[in-house]
Amino acid sequence: MPAPPAAIVLPDASAVAPRPVARMGLRAAGLGGALAALVAMPPLGAVLEAGMATHMLLQYPALLLAGALGACGLPRRWRAGLDAWNGLGISGLLFVTLALAVLMIPRVLDLALTDGRVEFLKIASLLGCGLALVTSWRRAGLVVQGFFLGNVLPMTAVAGSLYLDAPLRICNAYRLDEQQQVGAALVAIVATVAIAWLASTGWTLVRQEQCSES
Amino acid sequence: MFKTVLSCTGLAVAAYLTAGWVTKDFSAWTAEGARRADVLQAPVAVPAVRLEGPGINNRPANELLADGRGVTILDFVYTRCVSVCTTLGSGFQQLQASIKAEELQRQPAIDQAGQVVAGGDAAARPGAHARGRVRLLSVSFDGKHDDVAVLGRYAAQMRADPDIWRFAGVPDAGERRALLDAFGVVVIPDGMGGYQHNAALLLLDARGRLVRVFDYGELTAALAQARALAAEGRG
Repeated sequence: MPAPPAAIVLPDASAVAPRPVARMGLRAAGLGGALAALVAMPPLGAVLEAGMATHMLLQYPALLLAGALGACGLPRRWRAGLDAWNGLGISGLLFVTLALAVLMIPRVLDLALTDGRVEFLKIASLLGCGLALVTSWRRAGLVVQGFFLGNVLPMTAVAGSLYLDAPLRICNAYRLDEQQQVGAALVAIVATVAIAWLASTGWTLVRQEQCSES
Repeated sequence: MFKTVLSCTGLAVAAYLTAGWVTKDFSAWTAEGARRADVLQAPVAVPAVRLEGPGINNRPANELLADGRGVTILDFVYTRCVSVCTTLGSGFQQLQASIKAEELQRQPAIDQAGQVVAGGDAAARPGAHARGRVRLLSVSFDGKHDDVAVLGRYAAQMRADPDIWRFAGVPDAGERRALLDAFGVVVIPDGMGGYQHNAALLLLDARGRLVRVFDYGELTAALAQARALAAEGRG
């Protein structure tokens, strides 16, 4: 699962003034916590997980968003400590890549429904992905961002086309038609994110060029 | 930068270990694959749930499947099914035909004096013959609809030979759940009033233990494996 389009232009918590925004950050974190609880706990959690599409295309991105909101509430000192381990956002984006790769293994979806440990790890790592995206994206710069997307997007597209083409159900808990819908949606999301990133990057670079010319 | 390299290495190792754990050392990517690997490693005894069907008088499954009548290929069905079960039904019809043909071949030609003259191998002796057979059993998971009468009609419609292919339901809902759980079968509504489920052909040995799981498309392989298993038991 790639990041939801909202994560492409991420708020950078470190670049903001302390006082009023610290309160806003806390509010955002509270909102993130509430969102996470809403989509992961009963009753809505079980409803979302009853369908493959709602599980992967609603609950996953909602948890990413919750993690991203949570990152806004990180105290500055923690944030600085985290940054020391996350040079150029590389560790954070690597974490997102690896976590999403594991979460796209079909067995994980089935296990998340039946094994509490896997469900917990799933939720924790999706929240972590949201947090990692917010704390890493700006710092990554275009090269690292491009490398990250160049890995995650093709990986997701391949998983999507496997879901789409598999003649057998890959998840015991989900129907074949759902699996195909999710596969098609994953491919569509990949295309959208790729185009959005290219467009925003192109826009930024062109503007920079214009500025340096004038 | 050192901290970044260290954290990246840690992340990579953690991801490798997690992925290895989830995929059983990178061999099973789906829950079904993992389940099949587990079954291959450790056969699963059929639980003692009560089966009810034409010719099966409320017998416990573990008794029925280990009654000395050979190995069993089992599938889960519901009689209202019109899509995949129809395919599976005709698949089981093919299996039944193959089993019949093979048994006819093995049956000794007996001359007028009652002496075996040809075609009778050791397996054809009474007793030994029964032990080495391949049997079919279709178990309905639709307890609400599929009672004995419905199963009987369905069997007739499928032209099932009760000596080879039997039909059963599990009347008790809790026991039905227990049987499906024991065999790792997950039944889900298909959104059109029917069901979908995994684990197509379940091969049970003569002691009633689930030893292997095959796909719908692997009829030939399933039968070959069943015959090999039956031959072992015969020896």
